[in-house]
Amino acid sequence: MKRDYFDDVRLARTGAARLWLAILFVALAVTPFLASPFLLYTLNLMAVNVIVAIGLNILVGYTGQISLGHAGFVAIGAYTSVLLVSRLGVPFPIALLAAGFLSASIGFLLGLPALRLEGPYLAIATLGFGMATTVVIGRTALFGGHMGLVVPPVRIGPLDLSSDRGIYAITVSTAVILALMARNLMRSRTGRAFQAIRDSDIAAQMAGVDLARYKTLSFAISAFYAGIAGGLWAIVLGFINPGMFNFIVSVLFLAMVVAGGLGTIAGPIAGAILITFLNLQAAKVQTLPLIGPLLEGFSRQFMTVGGLPNVTWILTGLILILIVVLEPMGLYGLWIRTKIYWKTWPF
Amino acid sequence: MDPIFAVESLTRRFGGLSALDDVGFNVARGSIFSIIGPNGAGKSTLFNCICGVYRPDHGRVVFEGREITGQKPNRVARHGIGRTFQNLELFRNMTTMENLMLGRHMHMRSGVWSGAMMFRRQSRAGLEEVAQRERVEHIIDLLGLHAARDRFIWQLPYGTQKLIELGRALAAEPRLLLLDEPAAGMNLEERHDLVFWIRDIRDELGVTILMIEHNMQMVMSISDHVLALDFGRMIASGTPREVAEHPDVVRAYLG
Amino acid sequence: MLEQVLISGLAYGSIYALMGLAMAIVYKTSSVANFAQGEMATISTYVAWVILVSHGAPFHFAFAGALAVAAAIGIVLEFAFVRRAKQPTVLNLMIITLGFQMILYGFAGWRWGADQKRLQLPISDREVFRFGENTISHLSLATILIAAVLMLAVYLFFQFTRWGTALRATQQNRNAARIHGVPVNRVMAGAFALSAMVGAVAGMLVAPVTTLDPTMMWDPLLKGFAAAVLGGLTSLPGVIIGGYLLGIIENLFGAYISVEFKSVVAFAIIVIVLCVRPSGLMGRHYVRKV
Repeated sequence: MKRDYFDDVRLARTGAARLWLAILFVALAVTPFLASPFLLYTLNLMAVNVIVAIGLNILVGYTGQISLGHAGFVAIGAYTSVLLVSRLGVPFPIALLAAGFLSASIGFLLGLPALRLEGPYLAIATLGFGMATTVVIGRTALFGGHMGLVVPPVRIGPLDLSSDRGIYAITVSTAVILALMARNLMRSRTGRAFQAIRDSDIAAQMAGVDLARYKTLSFAISAFYAGIAGGLWAIVLGFINPGMFNFIVSVLFLAMVVAGGLGTIAGPIAGAILITFLNLQAAKVQTLPLIGPLLEGFSRQFMTVGGLPNVTWILTGLILILIVVLEPMGLYGLWIRTKIYWKTWPF
Repeated sequence: MDPIFAVESLTRRFGGLSALDDVGFNVARGSIFSIIGPNGAGKSTLFNCICGVYRPDHGRVVFEGREITGQKPNRVARHGIGRTFQNLELFRNMTTMENLMLGRHMHMRSGVWSGAMMFRRQSRAGLEEVAQRERVEHIIDLLGLHAARDRFIWQLPYGTQKLIELGRALAAEPRLLLLDEPAAGMNLEERHDLVFWIRDIRDELGVTILMIEHNMQMVMSISDHVLALDFGRMIASGTPREVAEHPDVVRAYLG
Repeated sequence: MLEQVLISGLAYGSIYALMGLAMAIVYKTSSVANFAQGEMATISTYVAWVILVSHGAPFHFAFAGALAVAAAIGIVLEFAFVRRAKQPTVLNLMIITLGFQMILYGFAGWRWGADQKRLQLPISDREVFRFGENTISHLSLATILIAAVLMLAVYLFFQFTRWGTALRATQQNRNAARIHGVPVNRVMAGAFALSAMVGAVAGMLVAPVTTLDPTMMWDPLLKGFAAAVLGGLTSLPGVIIGGYLLGIIENLFGAYISVEFKSVVAFAIIVIVLCVRPSGLMGRHYVRKV
């Protein structure tokens, strides 16, 4: 039997998959001309979170490490790109890449002590990193202290891309490119080495995988994604301050990965979209039909109405726990199971 | 004799206990060398010292004339030493093919950038990936793993998993292969096949084999040389027959 | 100057030691690194505040109420969530506590809003005792004493009560303990309750110094972890010593180097300790067998 080995690593194996991929790209391309500004803003935020989640998943889902400080990398990326553009007049694309690479180098440095750590120790060290980053940023004049910085308008060459559509073009195309690259990488030698470390570090070593090299590499790549996402987050929101990158945001990023399904590419994309959606809905939960008035009445009686948006944390927390308890593969696992169910239906 | 591998007065203590006490031997190129001994005799500790999982307190490990004592496992592997584990150490959430591809890791070049740019068949990583998968297919052929090819390890029965681990070690093209109880948990038929494969690996691929095994029948039938350990000490060394008849070995086994 | 720095270091260190102790109790019994520890303490402190402010009850009432709620939260976490994990891997257990942390954080924000409250203890943080050139506020002194008494009580509890013995047995070998008739499940729930109460005391001692809001315990949480890492997560006395050490080092850094970046010290210590001695000063390191 002659086999085409490239099929194993090909992006879309079947005609149907290729068709769906094409439809998705077309849909992404026409959306900015049909969508409302709020929807565009939502999609922009989703694209940014997708990038962070894919990167974090390379570290957590594929390499089996953990980070509770990813907001720190996002912050580094955001501040780097904003300062490079506003202070030094660096063109935005270059500033964005620089943000990614600076974040990656810091990720590499954090990966060094992480080499000797497992499980809770690593979580604690990264938690400390995330908190220390926001402290340093909040106390340094260059970074605008607690007041933060205003993001300069986005220009690429003569083009002003500060409109929602312009920003959409940047965030979504970056997200698509980074997602595809992550997928390729995970199917290639490097990605396999990451997964090998996750499943059995000693066997990986006996296959010639240098643990130190690949663990730090995984940290660096993951931080690169977070850094790029940071630069994009800044242009989506228009301002940055250290409070945006706190501990709970790091946990939120982890929730996106876990909700979507660890160790997949589609998973964190779905997870990031879901959690971003929940977050935005919670901010205006009162306006939702049915649930809105109900929750508002409940809040007036027992809680505070002003604190109502906090239901998003409760929901996200519940999702995290339920996934670990019921469906460890997250949304991706749910999708696979549904697919199998329909394939075998009605038996 | 042309020794490919030698251990010289290797000693390793845990607390006050000597897990290995002054162990030394030579392994001839192209031979099958077995290590026997009751539980706790120090056999696995010996493997771990060779592979760099533990650092020996004393002694040397020499492979092809080069000292490799205390080097990290990935360095040891790069010298051309492969290994299987007593309790399977497979990559459980990866497919058989991917597990075997890990065996090719050392023989591949593509890094982060070329991997991320693997969009087309003609890309650097794409070409390499196809070429290496073709090579791994030979191992799948050799061990008859076609049915398991694209399945995850956790979906496969124990016997198949043991074979895959052997296949992964082979995929790396080692010149010395350490097998840690390859027949453990196998039934008679599987064991029969295993004996056949181990001979094949030595004869066809020219791999020297250093093996820990409990099953005396198997040890006696395929070994060129047998070493018996007890409480970390060497108690006998020689041809299978010599060792089997050695009074200390008989005593160690019968109590 | 130096003595003054050491005294206030000791007061901060008491809080860190309590947080570290709370986390070590749970970690030793169930290998769960409890990232909800901070929020659990925050909620308990809010409860104390409600009892004090809304109901005007005396302080010991509020204190007892907060402890009771803390114990309940701890039991809920263990019984309703941790015990239900399908695959109780280190990562999954951590994720559960992180999820619980988010739930509590959201609840606190929803119930009490993000604005800062003041928890008024009957012990003043303004009035001071003087001795020689040095001063110590009543609150700092009380913090040091309460923490010391509590830690002694926990020690006695572990050493001399049946529950303590059961806890230690469970810590050493869960299955062996179960075979010998230790009700392991209940012991685990007990460990979570005990740890939550220790954390709640830390929370009530922190709140008057800072302010009461949903993020109040983030900083002490990290410090508690740093203390635990410094002392070794698996050694209760180690964690306590680690807490005091961290408090003192941090204050020395604040006094002589930089007040602004004082809270970065904890992170630096975590990194340094983990690089030099990953198992902490007094902990044990376990190596997996192959």
